[in-house]
Amino acid sequence: MTAFILRRLGTLVPMLLAVTLLVFALMSLAPGDFLTPVKAQRDINPALIAELQKSFGLDRPWYEQYLRWLGNIVRLDFGYSWTYKVPVAELIAQRAPATILLSLCSLALAWGLAIPLAVLAAARPGSWIDRLTSSAAYFALAIPEFFLALLAVWFAAQTGWFPIGGLTSLDHDFLPLGARFLDVAWHLILPTLVLGLGGVAGTLRVLRANVLDVLRAEYVTAARAKGLPEKIVLFRHVLRNALNPLLSTVGYAFAGLLSGSLLVENVMNYPGLGRLVYEAFIREDQFVVLGSVMVGCTLLVIGNLISDLALAWSDPRVRYGR
Amino acid sequence: MFRLVFLFLLPLIFSACSKPPAVTREDHPLPDGVDTARVEPGRRGGVFIQSVPGEPSTFNPLVSEDATSGGFISLFLDSLTRYNAVTQEVEPGLATRWDVGKDNKTFTFHIRPDIRWSDGAPFSADDVLFTFQAIYDTRYPNRSAFDLSVDGKPFRIEKIDDLTVRITTPEIFAPFLEYVGGVGILPKHRLEPAFRDGTLQKAWNVSVAQHQPETLVGTGAFRLRSYQPAERIVFEANPHYWRADSAGVRLPYVDFLVTKLVKDINASTLAFATGQTDAEGLSPDNVAWIERFAKRYDFLVHNRGPSPNTGFIWFNQNPGKDSSGQPFVQPHKLAWFTDRRFRQAISHGIDREGIVKGVLFGRGQPLWGPETPANKKWYNPDVTQYPYDPARARALLAEAGFKLGEDGRLRDAQANVVEFTLNSNQENQLRVNMATVFKENMRDLGITVNLAFLDFGTFVGKIQDSFDYEAGLLGLTGGGDPAGGMSVFSSKGRLHQWYPNQKSPATPWEARIDELMSLQLRTLDYATRRKYFNEVQKIMSDETPYIYLVTANAYVGLKDRWKNIQIPPLGSLVWNLDELWTVFTP
Repeated sequence: MTAFILRRLGTLVPMLLAVTLLVFALMSLAPGDFLTPVKAQRDINPALIAELQKSFGLDRPWYEQYLRWLGNIVRLDFGYSWTYKVPVAELIAQRAPATILLSLCSLALAWGLAIPLAVLAAARPGSWIDRLTSSAAYFALAIPEFFLALLAVWFAAQTGWFPIGGLTSLDHDFLPLGARFLDVAWHLILPTLVLGLGGVAGTLRVLRANVLDVLRAEYVTAARAKGLPEKIVLFRHVLRNALNPLLSTVGYAFAGLLSGSLLVENVMNYPGLGRLVYEAFIREDQFVVLGSVMVGCTLLVIGNLISDLALAWSDPRVRYGR
Repeated sequence: MFRLVFLFLLPLIFSACSKPPAVTREDHPLPDGVDTARVEPGRRGGVFIQSVPGEPSTFNPLVSEDATSGGFISLFLDSLTRYNAVTQEVEPGLATRWDVGKDNKTFTFHIRPDIRWSDGAPFSADDVLFTFQAIYDTRYPNRSAFDLSVDGKPFRIEKIDDLTVRITTPEIFAPFLEYVGGVGILPKHRLEPAFRDGTLQKAWNVSVAQHQPETLVGTGAFRLRSYQPAERIVFEANPHYWRADSAGVRLPYVDFLVTKLVKDINASTLAFATGQTDAEGLSPDNVAWIERFAKRYDFLVHNRGPSPNTGFIWFNQNPGKDSSGQPFVQPHKLAWFTDRRFRQAISHGIDREGIVKGVLFGRGQPLWGPETPANKKWYNPDVTQYPYDPARARALLAEAGFKLGEDGRLRDAQANVVEFTLNSNQENQLRVNMATVFKENMRDLGITVNLAFLDFGTFVGKIQDSFDYEAGLLGLTGGGDPAGGMSVFSSKGRLHQWYPNQKSPATPWEARIDELMSLQLRTLDYATRRKYFNEVQKIMSDETPYIYLVTANAYVGLKDRWKNIQIPPLGSLVWNLDELWTVFTP
């Protein structure tokens, strides 16, 4: 098992190398660089621009810049943001909590809503609840996330029931502690719905199919024949077995913890990592972009590993290693 | 279920009855050197709310290059002098007065006695010395170091006594007082350790501002209370501020200045239009629909008059060749572009009134020279104008040897069809629209214009590095002292876009502009400087290397509840934030 984990983590190194090399090359190929907006200002001295170029290493060929960056990474130095003059790791840590909060909320919404609905729908295939959830799921899957986000912003602006973007109100600092908590909760409702709805639909459809499969199994018939109440049959015997394939999606959810909400954050003015990364891309703030790409990749690999391990733990038929 | 409903309702209840907390402001005696504001005394209290697109990148003036960060820094750091954006004159700041030596190079500043930093520490000449020391230190390359030097030679700063500082410039340096007004004085007692150990550029970064806002000590009207990245910045009144009203009440009147950080300019405009913020700069194309909300949210849209932004078209006159020996511009086209009559004809062929009506909805005016009327102090109204006159344009073209063919296309003396590609950046819709009108106007003269809209970065690369383009449409923000335009007007300049970085001036008129620009820098006399700069503007309009198009008006939306408002024609929306007050507290 340990060998398996190490082997999987080992694949991380070549993958990170390839991905960062690609990102670096693409960013260098893209027109302009971090200093382009500075160059377009009329009252900035050319000597200052030359000096900045030198201090950022932008006067060197891109492969040399990449090798230097790589050298620093080996020493666990992720560089600093050219825009903010703050170490990249610190900047990511500053913005990550808001994003993780949003991702966890939407994940909780997705699972909390999808699991009971899927079991209910599968228990009575063809019933009104089944048809309703299936067609609703189709709709939810068909609407792109960013469009749903736009609709949510429009809805908030029209009704005034919800804040338009952000995570806290302007007077947040002046509120008592309890009110602050509620303030955040109130701001989280719309982004959570937008981000979670797709997840609800996806999980619902996969789980419903699984439950239907499992319901045909002989041990279910046996359980029913024993006279167990239908509730126990469904939730203890059927659901536990139907959940197996879903465990593999946990990994993907983990990978998307930091990067999954990029679009929603940008449309809904949410103060998370997504906005930081998007702005860094636009401004070509290289090290921030590279840092976030690395975090994303690492999470993806670790996420996959976790789902594989979880599968082995819950299903005795799965074995890794020798 | 009830609990769920309750959870939903609670925040609504809270927001409905949320009142600003009772604010108790620290009370300190006014300093001896207090500056008394000449405005109607107002009442303390209230919160001023604004929104800003983007994010400050730093709170350290030695690092800041962008206007957003600079705006926040100037809220908490004051300078020896201050530039009154309304009168466009230099006024006393941390210095009550200054004497200019006979040589016009020595300036002696007398600092206000008894003033204090926002943490209560006394302010003295040592802080001024420290600031200049930090600026000139080569470990910390920054913008001010280059602005505050003449031909690479720094100014000399001496301390006469605790309240007197003498600054000597190596040569006579015309914009001295204005530039010194832009230097926020740094607190020595806070930043000296960072200065010594070489980490001054990391001081006061966004992370420090978030976790230790109280360490950002200044002399300005406000001090930082809290910063939440991508959400908001809250400033509070500085209890040690050096200005008071005639009733002896220390400014600023407002308790808090809250800035909402939003994603882009559209979000910022929307926040104002829906009544969330108190002030917002508005572009001309947004005014009409925003005014419809004025009654509902009690605001007024003020017309600031012409903005300092210019818009122009130019032809690439660079005679150089690229690394493979190909000329940047085809030789026969270069011949057109360097012919003054050709450029004047094009200028006569542009319907600027049409652009104002069609693109700016009547909210702007034609522009004939490098400065707009917003720059009251330096604008020259007597430049050569090129009113829309296709007949005159055709006559000029005929004079320059161009002939209109039977097929309706213009050809030069060698029978080359007159056709060129105009580049602009795709992000700016107003420019895209102007380019389209230009194309139509040129078709009437038999000239074919192809439009190519590029990404801003690509376009800047073409203008400044690769030079492989024929014509461009862009804008520059003018205004301020002529010294700020050196990179544009001087033939050595980086933004002398039609032919940048010349070793020696390519034409006699460019040589004359170079001469005038260096002459105006070497005298402190406004009238003389103005004479020189007027001539620069006149030459620019005669030779039309830039074919100026239009300048849009600028607008500011402001909530009705604010009193003592002074809106300057250029620069920040409200320049006297410390003097604003309101009758209602929200």
